[in-house]
Amino acid sequence: MESPISTYAPRTRREQVLGAMVQVAAAEGYESVRVAEVAARAGISEEEFGRMFASKSACFLESYDAVIDVLLAHVAAAFEASFGEPWQDRVVAGLRALVELLAVKAEIARMAIVEVTAIGEDARIRYRAALERFVPFLEEGRTVGARGEDLPEETARFAIGSATAMIFNEIRSGRGAEMQRILPDLVFAVMTPYLGVEAAEAEMRRVGG
Amino acid sequence: MLEAVGDVGYEGTSVRTVLDRTELYRQAFYDSFSSKEDCFLQAYDDGVERVEAAILRAAAGESGWRGQLRAGLGALLEFLDSEPDVGRALIVEVHPAGAEALAKRTAALERARIFLDQGRAEAALNGNGPPQLAPEAIASGIHMIVHSRLAAGDCDGFRALLPELMYVAVLPYFGPEAAKREMGLS
Repeated sequence: MESPISTYAPRTRREQVLGAMVQVAAAEGYESVRVAEVAARAGISEEEFGRMFASKSACFLESYDAVIDVLLAHVAAAFEASFGEPWQDRVVAGLRALVELLAVKAEIARMAIVEVTAIGEDARIRYRAALERFVPFLEEGRTVGARGEDLPEETARFAIGSATAMIFNEIRSGRGAEMQRILPDLVFAVMTPYLGVEAAEAEMRRVGG
Repeated sequence: MLEAVGDVGYEGTSVRTVLDRTELYRQAFYDSFSSKEDCFLQAYDDGVERVEAAILRAAAGESGWRGQLRAGLGALLEFLDSEPDVGRALIVEVHPAGAEALAKRTAALERARIFLDQGRAEAALNGNGPPQLAPEAIASGIHMIVHSRLAAGDCDGFRALLPELMYVAVLPYFGPEAAKREMGLS
């Protein structure tokens, strides 16, 4: 697999600073981040940092958006690459891409998924908005089962909630670097509301659960 | 405390805010609580206890897992309808409140998981063996739906969610037909 690191390499000075912010925040926790350290890591002066960003938190929020964009792009790419295949296979491809990236970037994942809930309202709004962006991937599942139109309106949110809670728990329990292990569980959690238990279990077994 | 936190957020709430709302003197506050966090933790316990008591009281009047679940979930949603600020404090604002608050949240979700998994024995009688993950997936999924509404301030009509929540909760235990029946019943 091509490393996600090289795929999403920073292109501009601003992106370098955002990348540095992500690294420092992931390593030390947002509270401990010092602008001087971020600036040094990005190879700029604090004055330059000040010209680019209004504050530490403004920089962090922009870097957070970038992290989410990368994550979503990575999942979407896997989902789109399997265009034309059954929805189940595409969801598995998307989830596999998700857990692989989360495992490789375990520190960033911890910051983006667990610590973000304690960073502040602006960050939490972004986190929730990010989760909402997964809805369209799942909603295609309505066309797969026989009961598509009868499914509750909140089905996608339910499925995302189940999956996120598992990911959250893995990271909190210090198993973030082995996120691939819960791929079968995620497949099951996401597919059950759309396909029912038996079909979801069959999909889970296909990915090794 | 919970109303203040639900209204203006944990970070925006100070001891002063609580004093203003309760008309307590600062000394009286510190006689009972060592800090804002201590006060929130005690308030959190108290709030969760009230919600759980309402759920268990409602469920006690029903026989059978599905009936108890419908009554219990209904009680939870009615609580959120009548006290959305408290709901927001317990479910949304617990996140910035520190590690101890998060541990309490995890424990509360674990109790919800156990409550849900009482359906397992009844499902077994019908020859259904729901996967081990089912109750955790249900509790987290319902939590997400409620959380996103509270966080967005979209607090009208939690009670109206009952049919959908019954559908997703019953599905892994009793299959699609029973789940659909529940959606119609609720």
